[in-house]
Formats: sequence, C-alpha cells, structure tokens
Amino acid sequence: MPSRLTKPSVWLPILSLVLVLGGWEVVGRSIDPLLFAPPSAVAATLASLLATGELQAAAQVTMKALFLGYALAIIAGIPFGVLMGALPRLGDILQPYLYAIFSTPRVVVVPLIIVWFGIGFEARLFLVFFWSAIAISVNTAQGVRHARPDLVEVARSFRANRIEMARHVLIPGAIPFVVAGLRIGAERAIVGVIIGEMFLQIVGLGGVIQKGSVELLPAKMLSAVMVIAVLGTIIVTMLDLVEKRFQSWRGEST
Amino acid sequence: MKRRPNHEVRRDQLIGVAVFLTVWEVSAQAFDKPLLLPPVSAILAALWELLISGALIKALGESILLLVAGLAVASLIGFICGTLIARSKTAYWMLNPYFSALFVTPTIALVPLVLVWFGFGFTGRVIVVVLAAVVPILFSVASGLRDSPDDLIEVARSFGVKGEIQLLFQVRLRAAMPVLMAGLRLAAGRAVVGMAVAETYLRLGGIGGLIKSYGAVFQTDFVFAAILPLSLLGIAIVTLISRFERRLHWT
Repeated sequence: MPSRLTKPSVWLPILSLVLVLGGWEVVGRSIDPLLFAPPSAVAATLASLLATGELQAAAQVTMKALFLGYALAIIAGIPFGVLMGALPRLGDILQPYLYAIFSTPRVVVVPLIIVWFGIGFEARLFLVFFWSAIAISVNTAQGVRHARPDLVEVARSFRANRIEMARHVLIPGAIPFVVAGLRIGAERAIVGVIIGEMFLQIVGLGGVIQKGSVELLPAKMLSAVMVIAVLGTIIVTMLDLVEKRFQSWRGEST
Repeated sequence: MKRRPNHEVRRDQLIGVAVFLTVWEVSAQAFDKPLLLPPVSAILAALWELLISGALIKALGESILLLVAGLAVASLIGFICGTLIARSKTAYWMLNPYFSALFVTPTIALVPLVLVWFGFGFTGRVIVVVLAAVVPILFSVASGLRDSPDDLIEVARSFGVKGEIQLLFQVRLRAAMPVLMAGLRLAAGRAVVGMAVAETYLRLGGIGGLIKSYGAVFQTDFVFAAILPLSLLGIAIVTLISRFERRLHWT
C-alpha cells in the first residue's frame, strides 16, 4: 500500500525518537557509566569534543585520506575500466581476480597491508583506494561493453566514425554504470578509511572510537560513530541523487 | 552485446591463471623476500599444513557456525521488523530511520561498542554479524511485502484462505520470494564481512582469528593460505544463494 506511505507524518518519528531516547536515558542511568552512556552524556561529550576541536581535527584527518584515496580511485579506475571494456578478452581474464579481491573482507587483508605499506598514511590510502578503484573499474567496464545494440545499429547506418560513435553512443551509454560504480566505490572508501584508522594508525574518527574503547568511554565512541554515520549519509545520498539523475540513460536493453 | 562464447572465456581465464601463478612464483623466488611476497609454492605448503593439522577445518567450522547463527538471528529480526514496516505506517515511521542509519554506519565502527556491552564471547560476535546483515534482509522483506499482489490475494480468498496471517504465509511471502532471496544474498555478503570483523578485532577464534594471529608474527605465507579459504567461503555462499535465486522464476 504505497499510497499510505506517501503522506509523511512528522510526529511519528519524533514520538519514536522521544521513546527511544527516553528509554535509553532511563536504562543508561541505571547502568555502570563505564559501560553504557545515556543520551545526555553522549550529547555532553559530543559538545565538549566539538569545543576542544578534537572531533573537527579527527574529521579532517579522515576526510583527507578519504578524498585523496577516492580521487585516486576515480583517476585510475575509470581509464582501467574503459580499457577492460574495450578489450573484452582482458576484462574476462581479470574479472575473477577483481571479484575475488572485492569479496574478501578487508579486515583480513590488514596483515598484508602492514607488511607492504607499514601503518602510516600510505597504508590507509591504499585501503581507501584499492577497493574503491575495483568497484569503479568493474562497473565502467560493464558500461562500456554493454552499449545498447539498437543505438549502435542506428549510428552505424548513419556512418558514424569511431569518435562520433564514442561521443554519441558509447560514452552516454556507459555513464549510468560509471555513476553506479562511483556510488559503490564511495561506500567502500568510507568503510576503508575507518578500517585503516582502527587497525593501522590510530588517528581520525576511527581513532577516536578506538581511543574511546581503550579509555572505556562509550559516550566518546558513540559521538564518533554518529559523526561517521552523518558524513557517510551525506556522501552516499549525494551520489544516490546523481545516480537517479542518470538512471533514464540506461535504456531498456540493459 | 559483446558477450563472448563461454568456452572461449573459460579457456582464456585458465591460461590467465596459469600465467599469473607462474609469474608470481618466478618473481617471488627471484625477489626472495618471503615476508613481502611468499612464492605460490610456499603458500600451498602452508595451506597443506593448515589442512592436515586440522587448524583450518576447526577455524572454518567456528566461522561457519558464527555465520549461520548470525544470519538466522538477522533473518528473524529482519522478518519481524520488515513485516511490521511493510504492513503498518506507524511502524514504518517509527522503525525505518534507525535501520537506515544502521545501514550507512560501517559495522566496524560499532564493534568496540558491542565489545563493551556484550563482551566478545559468542554472543558479542553473533551481534556483530547481525548488525552487518540485518538491514538488507529487513529492507527486502519490507519492499517485497509492500507491493501487495492483489490478483493473487483475490484468488486465494476465493479459495478460502482467510485472515492476514494465513494470507501472509500462503500468498504474500511466496509472491515476494525473489525479492527476499536477493536481500538474503546481499545480507550473506555483508555477514561474511561482519564475521571477519568480529573475529579479527580481538584475534579470537575462527578463520579471522587465524589470519590475525599469523599476521601478528609476520608469517605472510600462512596469512595468504588462510585468506584464500575465507574468500572462497564468501564467494561460495553468495554463488549458492544466487543459484537458488535464479530458480525462482514465478513472478
């Protein structure tokens, strides 16, 4: 019954928020503060972390690795994807490796990254870059290979040359796939940067969580988790909107 | 469109694997730094040693148990909350925001909290897997049950199926099956990640723990040998579910 859901009701989420936060506050106060933080404590911690600038500094460290790694992933991933799409044989040969690496949880690769790159900035950058680049290149390759045959046919019958074909058929056809790859790559990049900060070098927002865990300050951990969730939501939502914008370019044949 | 014939693809891939492994072996031997790049032969030897000592089987057993338990709990919670969200506007507006927030939060960031609250016994680890896997299941149940198959319900009613519960199990769920399987496939992929995160974080048990302890003593050949079965486990589970998914063609 989608029609019943289209009319958003404002007071229900608010009521739910009040119930959850209220219950959490009541339960949280009755439990050892070393273990559990009521919302009031989290809010106070969040405010003090913001006032001292600790959270902003951490977010800056995280963003630097995230955006640099993601930018490198785009710069490397799209051309590599085009290459794999243009040379189907190369794509077919590489596909299994990319798939295997992509489906390996990154936390278990951390020991290898330590021996290869150490635990510094480069190591964290690699965690962001590599998996993100795979997502982008695999999707780009798919987009390049799956040009709509009807449009290719039409362009051919108008005697389009290679450049015209690329300009008018292949590139517009590949863009929705590339954008999908960019969104998946961004999700991977966000998780990658946090893994790096929790397992390699204890810095940034992941580092704040890790420190909070060592110091037994659940309120500190929750503050960092919330900042990560908000940043992640903003980035992914923006790319989601871009992806929807290009959705209609996909056509029926894909 | 440019899909090449299957046997050709497979032939290329086999040649590719042979070339890849040979190049790896030869360059690793020439490079001679087993800490950075152990040769394939050393990795296979390590894998063999893990197999005959029983360490790998034991670790895989623990991991699979964790995975199955986590997915079962996630399915149960996802099913109950997803049904509520699909059938009730109130539940939708009260529950959905939390699950959406959970979906965008990297599971790894929640692990230290789970550790503090639930400890790292089996319960804590199962909770990490549930946190990783529950949202795709819930979303698939919610979207699968929201699109009401009116014609099927009409037919079922005229054949004497009565009551919402009966309709739910006999009509709605079956009509939603393909969506549910797609959700389960996504959830299984994320569950494997959650399992690895839970096991690696404290170097405790299972295949993740095995990898972490070999990493701590820099035995790179054993690290590779233990990562391999974990990747295969993940790929096998997802492939199994998508096989099953492709059979569900009735909608």
